[in-house]
Amino acid sequence: MLTQEEKKQFSEIFETLGETLDITETQYNAAVSSYGAVGEWLAKPESSLAPYKPVIRPQGSFMLGTIIRPVCDDDDLDIDLVCELTGKNPQWAQYHLKQAVGNRLKVNETYRNMLEEEGRRCWTLMYSNSANYHMDILPSLVCNGYNTVLEKAFSSTALGKDYETLAIRITDKKQNNYYTDTSTENWMKCNPFGYCRWFFATADVSTLRKTVVLSEAINPVPKYSVEKLPLQRVVQILKRHRDMMFNGDEDKPISIIITTLASRAYDKETYIIDALTNVVTNMSNYIENRYDPNTGKFVKWIPNPVNSDENFADKWVEHPQREKNFYKWLNQIELDIQAVVQKRGLQYIAEAMKKPFGEQAVTKTFTTFGEMNRNLRESGVLKMAAGTGILSMAGNIVAAAHNFHGND
Amino acid sequence: MAMTKRKHISVHAQGGMLRQLFPDSTLKIVGHDKGLIWEGKLQPTNLSITYNIRVEYNIGCNPNIYVLSPSPLPLAKDATKLPHTYNHEKQHLCLYHRLMNEWNERKMIAKTIIPWTSEWLLHYEIWITTGTWHGGGIH
Repeated sequence: MLTQEEKKQFSEIFETLGETLDITETQYNAAVSSYGAVGEWLAKPESSLAPYKPVIRPQGSFMLGTIIRPVCDDDDLDIDLVCELTGKNPQWAQYHLKQAVGNRLKVNETYRNMLEEEGRRCWTLMYSNSANYHMDILPSLVCNGYNTVLEKAFSSTALGKDYETLAIRITDKKQNNYYTDTSTENWMKCNPFGYCRWFFATADVSTLRKTVVLSEAINPVPKYSVEKLPLQRVVQILKRHRDMMFNGDEDKPISIIITTLASRAYDKETYIIDALTNVVTNMSNYIENRYDPNTGKFVKWIPNPVNSDENFADKWVEHPQREKNFYKWLNQIELDIQAVVQKRGLQYIAEAMKKPFGEQAVTKTFTTFGEMNRNLRESGVLKMAAGTGILSMAGNIVAAAHNFHGND
Repeated sequence: MAMTKRKHISVHAQGGMLRQLFPDSTLKIVGHDKGLIWEGKLQPTNLSITYNIRVEYNIGCNPNIYVLSPSPLPLAKDATKLPHTYNHEKQHLCLYHRLMNEWNERKMIAKTIIPWTSEWLLHYEIWITTGTWHGGGIH
């Protein structure tokens, strides 16, 4: 069992690791201004989409605040966006709506050159000037007054858990009615903003001072936030471990599964280390076994929290390696966290963290920790506890100014 | 207002304060108030290991501080010796600039040298990991 002081310090280490894994404010702002420009282009008065008031809004990890940098800085960052159209031409099937968005993008020469091959549900723009990132744009249809519905659901006073009202309609090339069906109630539903609302309800810890401004999440131009809730940090740490273990492997555990199970297992712990330990120990308990009447077999089911008929693990049947990899990963991260927590000596703790989380990230984490302690001493607030020599801001003997001196 | 000139602290008073702050430590007074040898344990952070430290002090001289154990202290990757030491083999630490008068006999060892030692140990643990000394100082 860890003492309170040990928990506190482990939490500081993992918090710093999380900060290291996060994208920088510069990267964040670059991404926001890039997709902001796309949104403006789509909405221009002369745009064919103008009557449908297109809005581009982030979704996925960018909106959840759980985005992390790729393991190699040269690799691409994926940013998921929703393109919301309010209403459509009555003649349009999914295909037409998708093309309408694509065609408008193609009118712009820059975007035409950046467009990748059409995806199943998305258009992808590849940015490769200053930073490398992909922007997956999901064309969608929303109801009249959707923005008001969203704002209400994301206001701090919202009590209702009626996530259903936040669902949007999307296009999907694999649907049989893709080219033909113009009635939107037959189009696929998707609820990224309902999921986001659920995530923040789960992550919110009212006892913590750091209240994340919820309404920021749905702002098409959200402000960068350095401070993260413990669950957001935990998800970043889990994803990094996954990236280290399965770099580039198609059958790696997917982020939505990791995020959902971690959120389910999260019990409002305020110390990141408590949250992390609990989550890795218990997240697999939230994988259900459901009977599939079509095959007569049980399948693993990880329900979408805002639509339990949707199974985030639906690919596991077709790709059994993905299920195997998920359990392999979970087992490994549990072992790795245990190993870290059992070590004493910052040098041995760091050593145990390097393989699971990456040498560079861990080195940066401890550099930050060292510099923080130096700054504390230089500002005269670093104190030593009598009896042990432990340095913190809570000791009783101030570490006075001095200079470590030269070598022999 | 009259200036109060702080007096030199006696070896007994130095030793007394060390023992008071670190009740589990051992203290030997050398000669008759001529010097002291103190040995105690320091743990720089809650997650650090514990180091055995020895302070040797003779009145009129600078105190000498050694890490007794672990010995040898492991080095950072590619490093050949410990940072900020007078003597690498003896693990004799350089904690302050002697010529800059950062320590003098009017200062309590227990309240200056000892926190600095702990700080050295903290930055030593980080140095092992990063290969860089983040504690500041002068070479």
